[in-house]
Amino acid sequence: MEHLDPKPTGGKIFTPPILGMLLVFAVCAYFLILRYANGIGTVTNLTDHMSWGIWKVIGVIVGAALVCGGYACAFTVYVFNGWKYHRFVRPAILLSLLGYSFAGLSLAYDVGRYWGLFNFFIPKYWQGNSVLFEVAICVMSYILILSIEVGPSILEKFFSPEKADNLAAKLHAFLNKVLFLTLGFGVVLPTMHQSGLGGLALVMGEKISPLWQTPFVSLLHLISCIAMGYGCVIATEVLFANNYKDKDQMNLLGQFANLMKIFVVVFLALRWIEIIRAGGVGLAFDFGSGYLDAYSFWIEMLLFLVGLYFVWSKSAQSSAKNIFFGGWLIMLGGSLYRINVYIIGFHPEAGVSYFPSLPELIISIGMVCLQIAIFITIVKLFPIITKK
Amino acid sequence: MKTKRRSFLKGLLGVGAGAAVVPMVANTATASGNKEPSDNHMGMFYDATLCIGCKACEVACKKANDLKPEYGNYDIGGINNLDSTIWDAPGDLSVNTINIIKLYQEGETHSFIKKQCMHCVDANCVSGCPTTALIKQDNGAVTWEEDACVGCRYCQMDCPFNIPKFEFNHYYGKIVKCQLCADNGLLDKNRTACTDVCPSKAVIFGKLKDLKAEAHHRLAADPARYNGQVYGDTEGGGLGVIYLSKVPFEKLGLPKLKNFSYAAVSEGVQHTLYKGMIAPIVAYAVIVFAAFKTLSKNKENH
Repeated sequence: MEHLDPKPTGGKIFTPPILGMLLVFAVCAYFLILRYANGIGTVTNLTDHMSWGIWKVIGVIVGAALVCGGYACAFTVYVFNGWKYHRFVRPAILLSLLGYSFAGLSLAYDVGRYWGLFNFFIPKYWQGNSVLFEVAICVMSYILILSIEVGPSILEKFFSPEKADNLAAKLHAFLNKVLFLTLGFGVVLPTMHQSGLGGLALVMGEKISPLWQTPFVSLLHLISCIAMGYGCVIATEVLFANNYKDKDQMNLLGQFANLMKIFVVVFLALRWIEIIRAGGVGLAFDFGSGYLDAYSFWIEMLLFLVGLYFVWSKSAQSSAKNIFFGGWLIMLGGSLYRINVYIIGFHPEAGVSYFPSLPELIISIGMVCLQIAIFITIVKLFPIITKK
Repeated sequence: MKTKRRSFLKGLLGVGAGAAVVPMVANTATASGNKEPSDNHMGMFYDATLCIGCKACEVACKKANDLKPEYGNYDIGGINNLDSTIWDAPGDLSVNTINIIKLYQEGETHSFIKKQCMHCVDANCVSGCPTTALIKQDNGAVTWEEDACVGCRYCQMDCPFNIPKFEFNHYYGKIVKCQLCADNGLLDKNRTACTDVCPSKAVIFGKLKDLKAEAHHRLAADPARYNGQVYGDTEGGGLGVIYLSKVPFEKLGLPKLKNFSYAAVSEGVQHTLYKGMIAPIVAYAVIVFAAFKTLSKNKENH
């Protein structure tokens, strides 16, 4: 395998797609102003019964899981000595940093008393028993760790290897020297908060349908987020670094697809064991319950199974098209699993349901657009992507 | 590739071993027994068979806690053009109504039911709140503290009775719920607004221990009058407000709950995984060691 270095992809920054995405964000910003002026209720369909909507469930819980590529790469490459996958680390970590920062932002407009967020830094308000407290602290620390991990690729822009004697170069050398210490946190923190994002469901008890509520709910979130992380790496690499002529890259991505497959199989097996144990099989076929549970459950299963089908065999894993769609389907399946736990399968009282309002959707979509626009711009300007 | 795969399988085994711990913990959390209410815990006891539905408690509650009336659109005996801004007529608990009397009717049988915060002994909201905004006080009241609250609404998600309400239409809303009259000073005088005014003594205030004794005494004295259970004895790990009724509790909107608190399950898992932070520290050390080895092995092509 020849040695390749990551390079900026270059090109014009304000292309039509980027401008389009910024336009969507502008509409989103308008509704955000309304939200801050008049309260959450004026722009959302949230109620006292269904009080967590897409801002928290998709913006934070799904959002953080979708960008687990940084986590999946960190432990595959550094902990399990998969150095050959090293070229995937930079884009994955950058996407994680952006994803987690936007998850934090999503929380900032979702919480009703946003100045209270500073209470997380004041020890007298700390509540060690709370899963949400643990998640919040771990996510905030992880954003810091990700910034340190992304640091070198940004700094490389400001010095050349031949003349490495300025501040940027020194900082770069230092960050590389302590990289192994940073990486420890880069693996432990996501393990803690990704399982915690599932653990949040535990205390909700019987308000969540037995199709999704189980003592294993945190472990299921952890396993599926790793599969989604591999999916995310595959999807990003095929989109950005893609040239099918690069056999090495395709080969490595195929191996990632195989790892993704293993995690999805473990996830589905545990999922079914728990559904049977909780006596929820009947609910999976209860299409007349008046709830969307059974439908949403099978769509979730279908996404995972079709995703698996796309990446099942060795020959399928060598096809760019297959692993790309497989990766996306697993990401969607994992996302729907989380939405099912916290929204579809959440029944606080008979007859209560929730569907996001248009402004609520636009705010979420606008934020995703901004995030993608920033990612593309950074990739154009800084050495992130490795390709032939 | 061979060694790679083997180490990966090892990793999976590790995850599996960790997984086995979780249900074990969940079981011990429930088997180890519920939190016992202390002798200082105050509470309320509502006997639905005594309630006459006069709603005097609603009025007293709003007055004591300075809550706004909620005007209803009422069709009384065919006259529906009455000025609907005369009566306070809330349909359910809300940010303006933290105590309500509702009527259950089915054929000949009917019963009233009083709803407010249950002041659980081991409250999910207290356990879930990330910033200590919900506190189980020494006197048994579960109270919300304005300064601490982030407005994350996790309390709304984990309350089995859907009690905490949030001011969604305020730019900086508050969580509103029954505070057992801790905020208005009545609790310090060993009183609450709703129990003070009840004309039929359907809802009474006192030490939770004494109230439970009284409830069991009534149940034993006249079994035919009741459905045979004291709601709140063990439901959700024990409640600070207990109920007697003739009509089955589920029909009155009191959910059938397990005899333990899910807060105990959640905290059991949490405390085992993070006991003394030993597991995360060991994991950190192992990962740092592995990463150090990987990095030094691959230094030449870095």
